[in-house]
Amino acid sequence: MNGVNTSIRDILYEEPGKKARRRIAIGTVISLLLLVVLVLMMIRRFYDSGQLDSKYWIFFTKSTTWKFLGKGLLGTVEVAFASGALAFLMGLFMMLGRISSFAVARIISRILIEFSRGVPTLLFIYFFFLAAPQFGLKLPAFWKISIPVALSAAGMVAEVLRSGVNAVPKGQTEAALSLGMRKNSVFFKIIFPQALRYVVPSMISELVIVLKDTTFAYVVNYADLMQNSRVLISNYDALLSVYLVAAVIYILINYILNQISVAITKHRNVAS
Amino acid sequence: MSIYELLTQFGDKYLAALLTTWKLTAISFTLAFVIGIVITIMRISPIKPIRFVGDLYVQIFRNIPGAALLIILVYAFPYLNFVWSYYACVLIATSLLPASFCSEYLMAGMNTIGAGQIEAARSIGMTFFQTIKNVVLPQALRSSVLPMTNLLVATMLTTALASQVPLKPTDLTGIVSYINTRTVGGVTAFMISAFLYCATAVIIGQIGSLIDRKVRILR
Amino acid sequence: MEQSQKTFEILEEAPVIELRDVNKYFGSLHVLQDINLSVKKGEVVVIIGPSGSGKSTLCRTINRLESIDSGEIIIDGVSMPDEGKKLAEIRSQVGMVFQSFNLFAHKTILDNVTIGPIDVLHKSRKEAQAEAMELLKRVGVESQASKVPAQLSGGQQQRVAIARSLAMHPKAILFDEPTSALDPEMIGEVLNVMTELAQDGMTMVVVTHEMNFARRVASRVIFMDGGKILEEGTPDEFFAHPKTQRAKDFLESIKRHES
Repeated sequence: MNGVNTSIRDILYEEPGKKARRRIAIGTVISLLLLVVLVLMMIRRFYDSGQLDSKYWIFFTKSTTWKFLGKGLLGTVEVAFASGALAFLMGLFMMLGRISSFAVARIISRILIEFSRGVPTLLFIYFFFLAAPQFGLKLPAFWKISIPVALSAAGMVAEVLRSGVNAVPKGQTEAALSLGMRKNSVFFKIIFPQALRYVVPSMISELVIVLKDTTFAYVVNYADLMQNSRVLISNYDALLSVYLVAAVIYILINYILNQISVAITKHRNVAS
Repeated sequence: MSIYELLTQFGDKYLAALLTTWKLTAISFTLAFVIGIVITIMRISPIKPIRFVGDLYVQIFRNIPGAALLIILVYAFPYLNFVWSYYACVLIATSLLPASFCSEYLMAGMNTIGAGQIEAARSIGMTFFQTIKNVVLPQALRSSVLPMTNLLVATMLTTALASQVPLKPTDLTGIVSYINTRTVGGVTAFMISAFLYCATAVIIGQIGSLIDRKVRILR
Repeated sequence: MEQSQKTFEILEEAPVIELRDVNKYFGSLHVLQDINLSVKKGEVVVIIGPSGSGKSTLCRTINRLESIDSGEIIIDGVSMPDEGKKLAEIRSQVGMVFQSFNLFAHKTILDNVTIGPIDVLHKSRKEAQAEAMELLKRVGVESQASKVPAQLSGGQQQRVAIARSLAMHPKAILFDEPTSALDPEMIGEVLNVMTELAQDGMTMVVVTHEMNFARRVASRVIFMDGGKILEEGTPDEFFAHPKTQRAKDFLESIKRHES
């Protein structure tokens, strides 16, 4: 009777009878009215404080504005991809250490993972921004933001990869070993590729976290979407509108990424 | 600077910073939990517009970068005559963001229950609220102990946003830039804060898995 | 004349379960078509039919886990309402045993059996627990009382589910394919409990594929196909002389499968 992706929302309530249907209808009308009132109040706020003035919004019709924001967005995407790739590599090594048969490697990986997961991104950024230059490590702004963001994501990536490896059925290893394959090639040719498939949705969610962390790029003065928004703000003297637009862009990109992750999970649940 | 010099000179500042981070974390997490429950109730409401607002909340606050939210609260909202103290802005940001994840975890916890048990509850004559009280809520809460533990750690990491506004006393992240603008704190200043964050995270994690082992539901 | 008719009505006991002209649609699919059914006290009605015949849906409409589009369902003289406290109250009088057991995963076996009496019937914990232990003994799982469902075998879980229903002192129990999810060696233990229940006079509606159970225990067999009740009769009549071609085909296909 129940599909694969039945949500709690669909099963929590009985099929409504007459009374319930009437109550839901009344509730819908009242809540819609409240919602409209709230939106109107918000618009009123904008209007009263002069923020609906065309001077705050007109420059969004210019192509140069969008080109400039697009350039910032490109910077954001570049950092996100560099951080994502770095985090994946670091996470991979941490995971390999974590499941290694050498106790020392396991302990070191464990410490690295806890460290990466327990320290805020901003603190990593301050390390590369404030502490690293003190002993002569001079990095371009791009890496000053990419490396710390990657460092703070790596621990999570390692744990996600490990859960993927654990999700591969034991029978796979046994079957491969019984074919006479060596232990290492069993892992890299049989187990790991399957594990990667399992973790694609979680990896996309990790990318969202990385992308959100890149907004700290202003700390190291790197031209990302946030930083370019600041330039627009000083050019047009329009702070609220520009920041709101930037926020909406971030939300939309991350929303799309999350939806892709959800779609893949759903598709797989249906397939299996 | 050696760790000894740093601690004699800034020891009390570190202690104050640690307490600030703990305090921010505790308040934010409590608020996030309460907001998260309210949002979750909205999301499972049979009334569509209420559901929509709950869903919208989650999509906005799980996807907006913390820095962007804080900047908007601090710099943009005063243009709408919403003027709050730095401390309030930080708390609003560090509560609203984790609340969206809190709701996601609660929804996931409820989704593990399945239609069967809810139908069984109905068939022995439980009303809607009895079903929620006896079957849905206890299972949802018990299966979200580990996610909530992770959320508490994530909330602590989010409170590092506090370092982006002038606060007194500053938090564990803020103190690193405070020290480095006064003396050459170097790696040590950074490591002390990092250690305090990690130690807190590990303790939270241990307590979480202890509770989880006690209440976990076998399936 | 009038007098004698009245006496006749009183003697003729009202059915425990009665369905009058029940219709149900899933979208454009007419899954229950003009169903009329009445189950008297102490009767064991076994519903059989090919998958997709609507037999499970019929079973689930009786305590309104599925809504109906027209018609009426009457439990012990009271018409089943659509919603509200009254619906819950009537449901508490009709037990239900599911294919997938549906025990409450976070509660012990004992708590699974006592939760209904305590929370719905407002019995004292002590009384409910004493009775629950009796019931668990009756279905043969009293030694598992302090475990949680996941620690029990399927057969044990299903017997607990039966005890959970019995604890409500129901006027009838509905069984929705109670053995379909069980390993072969556990089917017997559940069917035995059900047979004992029937012998003790419990009113039962059973949807099942177990033809031997139907032959031995049913007071009446109902054959459904395409959302309709096609045949109704004693097991002897039905299994020896099915009237419709579809019933013949169905019994034939099962015989082939069983041999």
